[in-house]
Amino acid sequence: MSNCARRHRRKARSRAARRRAQRRRRDTLAALTAGALAVPGLAGPAAAEGLIDRVGADYNFSRYSEGKISSSKVAVGSERGRYDIDMHQVRFATPIADRFDLGLDIVHESMSGATPWYVIPGDDGKPVQVMTGATIEDKRTDALLEGRYYMDRAQASLNGGVSFEKDYFAVNGGLGGQLELNENNTTLSSGLGVSIDSIDPVDTDEYPLRPDHEKKQTYSAFAGISQVLRRNIAVQSTLTYQLGRGFLSDPYKQALVEGEPFADSRPDLRHQIAWLSRYRHHFSSVSASFHANYQFYWDDWSITAHSFEVAWYQSLFEAFRLIPSVRYYSQGKADFYAPYYEQPRADGLYSSDYRLSPYGAISWRIRAETRFRTWRLDWLASFSWERYLSSGSYAMQKVSAANPGLVNYDLFSVGLTTRF
Amino acid sequence: MMGRRFRSRRGAAALALATGLLLGTQASAAGVGQKAPEFTAPALDGAKSVSLGAHRGKVVYLDFWASWCPPCLTSLPQLEELRKQFPSDQFQILAVNVDQDPEKARKFLERTKVGYPSATDPKGRIPETFGIETMPTSFLIDRRGVIRYVHHGFRKGDVAPLRERIQKLVATRDK
Amino acid sequence: MLRLAVSLLLALPLLAASGCAAVKPWERDVLARPDMAWEPDTLEAKRNSHIRYSKEASLPGGGAGGGGCGCN
Repeated sequence: MSNCARRHRRKARSRAARRRAQRRRRDTLAALTAGALAVPGLAGPAAAEGLIDRVGADYNFSRYSEGKISSSKVAVGSERGRYDIDMHQVRFATPIADRFDLGLDIVHESMSGATPWYVIPGDDGKPVQVMTGATIEDKRTDALLEGRYYMDRAQASLNGGVSFEKDYFAVNGGLGGQLELNENNTTLSSGLGVSIDSIDPVDTDEYPLRPDHEKKQTYSAFAGISQVLRRNIAVQSTLTYQLGRGFLSDPYKQALVEGEPFADSRPDLRHQIAWLSRYRHHFSSVSASFHANYQFYWDDWSITAHSFEVAWYQSLFEAFRLIPSVRYYSQGKADFYAPYYEQPRADGLYSSDYRLSPYGAISWRIRAETRFRTWRLDWLASFSWERYLSSGSYAMQKVSAANPGLVNYDLFSVGLTTRF
Repeated sequence: MMGRRFRSRRGAAALALATGLLLGTQASAAGVGQKAPEFTAPALDGAKSVSLGAHRGKVVYLDFWASWCPPCLTSLPQLEELRKQFPSDQFQILAVNVDQDPEKARKFLERTKVGYPSATDPKGRIPETFGIETMPTSFLIDRRGVIRYVHHGFRKGDVAPLRERIQKLVATRDK
Repeated sequence: MLRLAVSLLLALPLLAASGCAAVKPWERDVLARPDMAWEPDTLEAKRNSHIRYSKEASLPGGGAGGGGCGCN
């Protein structure tokens, strides 16, 4: 796009933008942004589950509620209430014939609320968040089918899925394999995945900066090794690589450049690496298991992140389990990120999205489970609550000006599973 | 030229070693054609002990199982069905349960009754002598106590071919 | 340096395979417990992965299989 066209769009944009920021509108914005919606078809996470030998159904309902943005962090006239998501998850799994099993996962979410739009300098120089208009409502449906084939010392899997929303459509697929060595003490796993996404942002007539139709492709590969160390200890390490191509920006976000709103513009290529290690240790004397996970993340937008999580699975009275867990997360910033820009960048990259900003997050969760047998079926009922807090001050590195849009949330979940 | 050949030989040796390590040593202490190791162990239900030698002269199907092994649990009712299809003086099923806590195995047998005895071996001495490589594993032993077939794992369709093998062995009368 | 790293990475599974035949197939009782699984609750794991992927910069790391009862 030529500089002339850009300047023209910016001027038209700013007048309309200022008016709109003060008005309440019924918008139909996407909840989770285009840049992060469909998780690519990695055979990994699903393949991690053990052999399905009984027909089963799982259901879970979760309510995700973001805390109100504090008044010191939000622009005058902007909505303070944030996002709420109701999420339904259903899973059916069954063994098929002798050496196959099949799993179907369906997710349906309804989202409503306001999300960060762009950041402006506040009265005292500290950046403040301008939120989108209130009462955004949207729905997302996701379906994933996975089949696995079992050999004596190996396993192969294939999966495919679709994801759609008013403004988003994605198709994904993946395949994976697993090999047992050393009397099943060592397991090698590997997989490939691809996701093809198309984004058709809504209300592009009212928001001329918003792109009309965009595409994105994501390719991923992972390789991992698991090792049983003792009768009660197992470890695992997995390396995942992901390549993103195409439209990787957030069509609903903007950045202020020299006082004028500019479309969120990220590179059209992204290399990402995640290295996840897990540890499992059972303590028979107290009937409990300890879980620890650590993930190191790196990408070529200069973001590195660390994630530490520990959980304690305490069994009580045979039928109950209480699982407290704690997680710490810290990330650095993308090299082109800034809350707002005092001068334009030579590479034309801009983003004020808190997800590319430096920050840390602490979260804790408590989950309770109970097992019972009735109507000749085995059941498991669960309830959990998680609280997540993020802040510039929680990061491992020093953060001078944290993004005002950092989010805190509560997540309540209830679930029921049954096995025939 | 000499250097390249030497390097490729080292490479070949390394590859051979790697393959060997990967495939693992198939150290089966009890394989097809060998005499099944004799054992005597207490019964799970506390009755008399279970001994392999006591059933010499019959075709024996020896099954190793545990309450924490889902395919094992699936196999039990199917093996019970199989047992009923042959006269008890010709064919015997024996099981060895390896649960560290035998109570868990007993609880399972309360829900799923079988008409054949299970020995309890929490220390795993019997599976060790038999060189078990996966759970479940079962051995088809002929009238002379020789292992004729080793079955690894268990899936729904496994019973039909098993029945045929048992039939053949039952039909053979040893001298 | 790169060659050393690559050969170390390739050697890892071999090293693991050769030395650590630690646990026998009939000793998998503890490992077979649901609370010793990499992801004891599939829906929770997917949900967490989805939320974190949407709200943070990084990737859902995915995971390998292994552990467990090792049954066939």
